[in-house]
Amino acid sequence: MLPSFKANKFSGSDSEPLTSTAAETDSSNNCHDAIPAHLNQKADSELSSPDVTAHRSSIATGGATPIAARESVVRYQMALRETAYTDLRQITIFLGTYNVNGQPPTSGLADWLSIDKDPPDIYAVGFQELDLSKEAFLFNETPREEEWYRAVFRGLHPKGKYRKVKLVRLVGMMLIVFIQEKHWAYVRSVASEVVGTGLMGKMGNKGGVAIRFDLHNSSICFVNSHLAAHTEEVERRNQDYLDICNRLVFSTTFPSKSIKDHDQVFWIGDLNYRLSGDLDLLRVKELLDQNNHQALLQYDQFRAQHAAHKIFIGYQEGPIQFRPSYKYDPGTDNWDTSEKNRAPAWCDRCLWKGDNVQVKDYRSHPGLRMSDHKPVSCFLECGVKIIDTVRYRKIYEEVMKKLDKLENEFLPQVSVDSTEINFGKVSFNEGATKVLTVANTGQVPVQYEFIKKHRDSNYCKPWLACEPYTGFLMPGDNSYITLEVLVDKRTAWSLNSGLDELYDILVLHLDGGKDIFITVSGQYQKSCFGCSIEALIQMHQPISQVPPETVCQYEKAAYPSVDPGNDSDSKQPVLAVPKELWFILDELYRRGMDTPGLFEQPGLSSEIAAIRRTLDDSLPDTLPGSVHSVAESLLIFLETLKEPIIPFGLTQKALDGCTAFASCKMVYTSLPLSHQHVFKHIISFLKEVLLHSNKNGLDAKTLVALFGSAMIRLPPPKYPLGSSISLSQNQPHLDRKRTTFIHHFLVNDLDD
Amino acid sequence: MANRGNQAGTATAAAGGAAQRPNGATQGKICQFKLVLLGESAVGKSSLVLRFVKGQFHEYQESTIGAAFLTQTVCLDDTTVKFEIWDTAGQERYHSLAPMYYRGAQAAIVVYDITNQDTFGRAKVWVKELQRQASPNIVIALAGNKADLAAKRAVEFDEAKGYAEENGLLFMETSAKTAMNVNDIFLAIAKKLPKNDGAGGVGGSSGQGRRLDRAEDGNKPASSCCK
Repeated sequence: MLPSFKANKFSGSDSEPLTSTAAETDSSNNCHDAIPAHLNQKADSELSSPDVTAHRSSIATGGATPIAARESVVRYQMALRETAYTDLRQITIFLGTYNVNGQPPTSGLADWLSIDKDPPDIYAVGFQELDLSKEAFLFNETPREEEWYRAVFRGLHPKGKYRKVKLVRLVGMMLIVFIQEKHWAYVRSVASEVVGTGLMGKMGNKGGVAIRFDLHNSSICFVNSHLAAHTEEVERRNQDYLDICNRLVFSTTFPSKSIKDHDQVFWIGDLNYRLSGDLDLLRVKELLDQNNHQALLQYDQFRAQHAAHKIFIGYQEGPIQFRPSYKYDPGTDNWDTSEKNRAPAWCDRCLWKGDNVQVKDYRSHPGLRMSDHKPVSCFLECGVKIIDTVRYRKIYEEVMKKLDKLENEFLPQVSVDSTEINFGKVSFNEGATKVLTVANTGQVPVQYEFIKKHRDSNYCKPWLACEPYTGFLMPGDNSYITLEVLVDKRTAWSLNSGLDELYDILVLHLDGGKDIFITVSGQYQKSCFGCSIEALIQMHQPISQVPPETVCQYEKAAYPSVDPGNDSDSKQPVLAVPKELWFILDELYRRGMDTPGLFEQPGLSSEIAAIRRTLDDSLPDTLPGSVHSVAESLLIFLETLKEPIIPFGLTQKALDGCTAFASCKMVYTSLPLSHQHVFKHIISFLKEVLLHSNKNGLDAKTLVALFGSAMIRLPPPKYPLGSSISLSQNQPHLDRKRTTFIHHFLVNDLDD
Repeated sequence: MANRGNQAGTATAAAGGAAQRPNGATQGKICQFKLVLLGESAVGKSSLVLRFVKGQFHEYQESTIGAAFLTQTVCLDDTTVKFEIWDTAGQERYHSLAPMYYRGAQAAIVVYDITNQDTFGRAKVWVKELQRQASPNIVIALAGNKADLAAKRAVEFDEAKGYAEENGLLFMETSAKTAMNVNDIFLAIAKKLPKNDGAGGVGGSSGQGRRLDRAEDGNKPASSCCK
């Protein structure tokens, strides 16, 4: 129903943040430094966007899911103000990484995991090469997971009481996160994901595993990865890193998050970066013997790639003051003496990204000799954002208030030039129009429509029409709606009988906004057109001189089926046939019989109106207008009778029996007396007309066709007595039956 | 990054299973309710809304010819309630159009003028109509407005109070002019509305927006809000 303008321009903006007033912008500037980078960018682009009002109005008009839209706006606005209602609290984090070379845990891990004085608040412990078996690789199943998990749990700091947040494993890569029990209540939205970058770029022998959660108001992500091996494979390692960043998405959070979408990211693992290949192995060992780590680190591939901004952009690492964690003869602290004779390297690293992180200690743990790697760990302090409930609530309410204000400001608004439209006197078949001006006085485009009222089937009464009844208005524009009142044969009787009146309330609805009521009224001038025969024969005065209530009474009494219970009041008729019919027929007898083209040539509508007024207002000696106008008035008069001369209840019988005069005559005899009189009058008149056919040129066929449709009409769709009429009769078929019926009476004598 | 809404309660909630943890499902959710104001003309329906939504008061408030629409949010301790307010025309000739607005409404404020006994009688008729025609669990509040004109009082507080109690209505005397009890009556309604009625589904997010409930049967249970 909404115009394409809105659909195109505003679509997709539901989840877009809303930028707001100047005051708001100020406050957001104040807290820029604490907002994650991606939010800042978004905020800047939003502020400079020329489409800001479009976002606003899409909020105002609701869109597909107004509440969801508002919730996302609230989230965004609250994020912008985060520093205003959060405080930083320091927690400690232990990061540990260990390539265990497929070995089981044969000794305790306390020398790695709990050498610090105070227990860390969070542990993130990562393993690589947990299991090098085919089963682990192919089916991702290994008993090592449980073995190492238990070993880690036993090795945690004895002074802390820990709870597992999550464990995630892909083949040999496993990451376990623990948190001290006391923080557990503030952990939410825990999720884990894995990405394989090994064989065929997909298998789990290399890649990364990650766990994320929210702690208080901070989002934290831990990644453990095992990148491609071998000194010369620097590019492969870089690519593995990028693949993990691109492909790892936490889809269970809403909205889904990548690694970068966190306040703090801690990345550990066997990154496998070596010392540059052009360094001689003997020279390496010589420098190691001198403990000259700084000289060696100049050849560290990781540092070179990092410095070149190829990998881990924005990540930091603590100062390396420990011997390379790779490669040792298992069970010893001796450098590799195997056939391969690998050069030592700082393969195992701990990195982080995000604000408020300080490294306290970065070390390896040579005492653990199970593997050809030594475990590495990093002890950090990290600021977590904690919400101050009172300040939060205050700001939340401010945001809501601001949104309400915007929303109300951008509601569709129109004004109309009038809510009361009076058409004054309205006569039968004389249409009258008035124009309603609708002006968009608001700030957003408006879709307006006249809507149906409670229980009504149409937006207005049948004698009224609005053009257009729906429309679209840009701010500042006007619409001109033409209201037309026309009382025709469909509606005249209900107005004559008082079942209806010229009064209606239109509901002008603005999509997404308010409604305006427009009252339409007028005084219907009762007319002998659109009455019933029964009522007309009660009146010997012109209808305009009969009190309106009396007309209503006559009409309601005319057909008990319309108003049952009123039967007893019906009086003896004062006339045999409606006097108006008599006046018309008399006029035609006197003036029209010899007129060529009688009934075939149309009358003038102004003359027909004058004839009607004459009949309504007086007992005329003559009627105005040409013979043709009088003749057409006759047909209109018959067509607009509430019940046709053959009443609806007998229509079926008349059509079914049209072939035999006897059955037609039976229909005639079952007509109400008043209808019999009228019928007889019309038939006599038609016979007379045919006597003059040499002058007026009419033949019986034409005449019965014209009068057939005026005298035998199909009942309106909801007519109770007409329910048996098969409306499927096609028009030519119907016309033939009607004319056949009438024709019998022209060629036979009724009194036979 | 703050990806949650209202976190009130964080500080006091005890650690426990996930279900008991702070910031459960309703946190940050906004519950949306349709509220309709009914009452005789010139009792102050529009003024109450204007005071509530914009904090303003106009001595000569224009007569409402139609149904005005505004929204306003109320923050409770644990939920946020957004009212979609339909302020209807009070004139008697528009009476037949009122069902369009109270059908599907989860709350109604029936307003009378404490200086005019007739308006109180009319308010009772509205209450009766709502009880018969509106959603069965609609929350109805009775507001005796113009409480600042106590000198001209024609409806006794106790009389209205007693009537409200008999009929299970919230009741307050209000003054749009002085703001007395205006926020309070909306707040009381917000508190009384069911926030977790599973039967209603996610009414607030249904996209109905402020569409009128035009076609359906008015007696079906009110759609509730968030879950």
